[in-house]
Amino acid sequence: MAEEPILRVRGLVKHYPLTQGILFKKHVGAVKAVDGVSFALYEGETLGIVGESGCGKSTVAKLLVNLERPTAGEIFYKGEDVTRLSGRALKAVRRNIQMVFQDPYTSLNPRMTVGDIIGEPYEIHPEVAPKGNRRAKVQELLDVVGLNPEYINRYPHQFSGGQRQRIGIARGLALRPEIIVADEPVSALDVSVQAQVVNLLEKLQDEFRLSYVFIAHDLSVVRHISDRVAVMYLGRLAELGTDSEIYEHPTHPYTQALLSAVPVPDPEARGKRERIILAGDVPSPANPPSGCRFRTRCWKAQDRCAEEVPELTVPPHLAGADGAAHPSACFYASEDPAP
Amino acid sequence: MPVSQLLQVRDLQVEFRTRDGIAKAVNGVTYGVDAGETLAVLGESGSGKSVTAQAIMGILDTPPGFVTGGEILFQGQDLLKMGREERRKVRGRKLAMIFQDALSSLNPVLSVGYQLGEMFVVHEGMSRKDAKAKAVELMDRVRIPAAKERVGDYPHQFSGGMRQRIMIAMALALDPELIIADEPTTALDVTVQAQVMDLLAELQRESGMGLILITHDLGVVADVADKIAVMYAGRIVETAPVNELYKAPAHPYTRGLLDSIPRLDQKGQELYAIKGLPPNLTRIPPGCPFNPRCPRAQSVCLTDLPPLYDVTDESGAPLPGRGSACHFWKEQLHG
Amino acid sequence: MPDPYDQRPHDERNSATELRPMDLATEEAEALERHEKATPARSLWGDAWYDLRRNPIFLVSAMLILFLIFIAIWPSAITSGSPYDCDLSYANQGSQSGHPFGFDNQGCDVYTRTVYGARASVMVGIFATLGAALVGTLLGGLAGFYGGWWDAILSRVTEVFFSIPILLGGLVFLSVVKSGSVWPVIGFIVLLGWPQVARIARGSVMTAKQNDYVQAARSLGAGNWRMMIRHVLPNAVAPIIVVATIALGTYIALEATLSFLGVGLKPPTVSWGIDISTASQRVRNSPHALLWPAGALSLTVLAFIMLGDAVRDALDPKLR
Repeated sequence: MAEEPILRVRGLVKHYPLTQGILFKKHVGAVKAVDGVSFALYEGETLGIVGESGCGKSTVAKLLVNLERPTAGEIFYKGEDVTRLSGRALKAVRRNIQMVFQDPYTSLNPRMTVGDIIGEPYEIHPEVAPKGNRRAKVQELLDVVGLNPEYINRYPHQFSGGQRQRIGIARGLALRPEIIVADEPVSALDVSVQAQVVNLLEKLQDEFRLSYVFIAHDLSVVRHISDRVAVMYLGRLAELGTDSEIYEHPTHPYTQALLSAVPVPDPEARGKRERIILAGDVPSPANPPSGCRFRTRCWKAQDRCAEEVPELTVPPHLAGADGAAHPSACFYASEDPAP
Repeated sequence: MPVSQLLQVRDLQVEFRTRDGIAKAVNGVTYGVDAGETLAVLGESGSGKSVTAQAIMGILDTPPGFVTGGEILFQGQDLLKMGREERRKVRGRKLAMIFQDALSSLNPVLSVGYQLGEMFVVHEGMSRKDAKAKAVELMDRVRIPAAKERVGDYPHQFSGGMRQRIMIAMALALDPELIIADEPTTALDVTVQAQVMDLLAELQRESGMGLILITHDLGVVADVADKIAVMYAGRIVETAPVNELYKAPAHPYTRGLLDSIPRLDQKGQELYAIKGLPPNLTRIPPGCPFNPRCPRAQSVCLTDLPPLYDVTDESGAPLPGRGSACHFWKEQLHG
Repeated sequence: MPDPYDQRPHDERNSATELRPMDLATEEAEALERHEKATPARSLWGDAWYDLRRNPIFLVSAMLILFLIFIAIWPSAITSGSPYDCDLSYANQGSQSGHPFGFDNQGCDVYTRTVYGARASVMVGIFATLGAALVGTLLGGLAGFYGGWWDAILSRVTEVFFSIPILLGGLVFLSVVKSGSVWPVIGFIVLLGWPQVARIARGSVMTAKQNDYVQAARSLGAGNWRMMIRHVLPNAVAPIIVVATIALGTYIALEATLSFLGVGLKPPTVSWGIDISTASQRVRNSPHALLWPAGALSLTVLAFIMLGDAVRDALDPKLR
């Protein structure tokens, strides 16, 4: 993967100001939703981002598709910083980075037909498809995502959750983007339908050579679909590596705890697994701990963790180690969870 | 299936009368749970798993929902034949329920201690002061740290996991004989999920109550259940002790669910996916409701509704607790 | 038929049950077709209309309102007399042939005056509602959509308007204007009525704006105008319609009240409020002169409030 990444994120920060007062607003602090996140996405790959609720993974998604403007940091799409763009140039970049939303019930306008929903991208970017063949294009998209093209005039409420998510995916594909940011695309779906949608996403990736940023809290789905995985905690990346590096050789204590907590559908493993129970709750992102964000719940924490911020780099003491030598933001990174 | 002493649901039927027709949400469900036992009811949305629980608790919205048949025996008494007042007493003291969304189940303007104490004031006529002491005791029991200091806090001051613990404490307050937990950990993060499930299992062991755990998550079930009932389109399609269900399912639907979980050895391949969609409950297909999605379907499946067959091993010896509503359970189980 | 549940490893098995888009399309098509048979394709508006047509309250109130609009436009269709054709010698007489409602104390035919009085009420009701709904939706919608300063200013302004006592405001405003025709009354009602609509519009626009489909449109590069017109307004308009329909009835009652007090419509305009006012001074001698216009007024207000209720039920089935 020596080639130039299609998307590079550097030092991304998003703070939401906390204000008091109605007319004359006073800043009283900030929710540090994303606080210094850097990663790269290569063409044709899937980067999974996992983390618990409130870790900032959905904010990252919104920043990537320009629904939010970052407080600081850069997002380079093919070498161009899209956070500085506006107007026509921004619109052009947006064509290439599309989003699939979590909730198939609120992400489709209930007053529009399926044809209008999937065709809307062409109205906003008329240069992509001339007026005459838009309907044909929409029907083709319906077919691609496995829906009957004849249902172009139906309304969203006439479809089930899985079908609606296919409609959302078709809308995301309409402009032939290079990157799709999927924010929990299957977590609102029934178990038996989730697999269909995961398969569809994989099929589309091969067919259109898409790059995915796949955001989810379900670790097994992320593992299945991702080439590389980033673990997020309280606005920062804790660990980043290939799927086997993260799942088989985790070195960050948080990743280890997260993986150990995943319920395994195997009753015979009951009681045999070593589960790491984390103490306390996730701290508030408005007032995160100094130094390492995870130190308040970490069993390995030392004084140093409160004073210095650990960088997301390959820990020097693990360099050359098979599997474990991948970026991990922990001073005491080790495959052995024992303190 | 042997008759359970604590709770026995027999041939329960529930329908919803809606504008689009009659939705048959529960179509003859039979299951039971004993004291000290955990029954997991597994199913997708619309399978009828939650509606059954609501019927047991007597909290079904009527209209549009109506219990149209069957019986719910609790300690030998049919809850459906009881008067309203009698039923309310059973519901408060002997049956308790834990919901998925703890935040909306707690009153935001009352302190947690007040809400916990309320149970004792209303049901046992305790004084406010004694009730508060009881509330602290309960919060200790569900392992809320610093219970004494936090008893006056309001629901929004607790994290999601802590709120769910408070809901559990509330359910436990009057030492019920049976707790129904409807997706108790679905809204929680994985690291918290495990803690809450462990707590539930531990409390159940301590008190010897029965537990019905309603969930769609095969992983959660594997960790705590004794036996499992799998529901589809308002019917139980398979029952089995937990180990056997995972090892050798006797219904194609269960098999499909297990196969669609992403696994290590499947990396880079397509996931197994059950084709099609769950049926619309106003128009459940004739015959076996799973037939349009079933890879095993034959012509008999299109016409004959399979009963819940007793499942036997290859030599024909009965396998206790196992049942499958599939005409071809033998082929499914023994190949 | 191949047996997909054999014990071969996953990869081999999967090749047998491979997902092909065409297969899927037909499966989904079948599933949807079964679903279609009982529920024909309908938009949400279509659904609401379907519900309305089956609601007896709606049918009764709609018929009443249609009849009312009809006589407002064309009163001479059901009465041959003129409301100004009064003969003092008939003053306060009761019902008689050709004059079913009797006469008032000026000797005017109560039936004719009641019929002609519909026009003022309907005009005030409809135009005041249209005005209040337009102004309120525009200002409230902008406040809800843009938030920030817009919103803060609008919220304070609506509070100021809410603090004005309606009758006192009406007395002051209309005694300054002193015209006695319907337009100043409509203007006054719009002036006091729009904040109520604005409040509802602001709230429902804010709710609609938060839906993911608005974000989806933005991530596609849609401008504010498109988001507002295509995505936010169509999903925010239902509560506005409900409030406006119910308000229509109360506006008609308000006009009658102001006319009764002598500041609203004035003779020669024919209005139920004026007739109620004059008749109320002689209610002991000739109660019929009060009852007919008052009954017509109540029925009209009731019809619009019932219509609003039925519309709300149809637009938001969850409320039922």
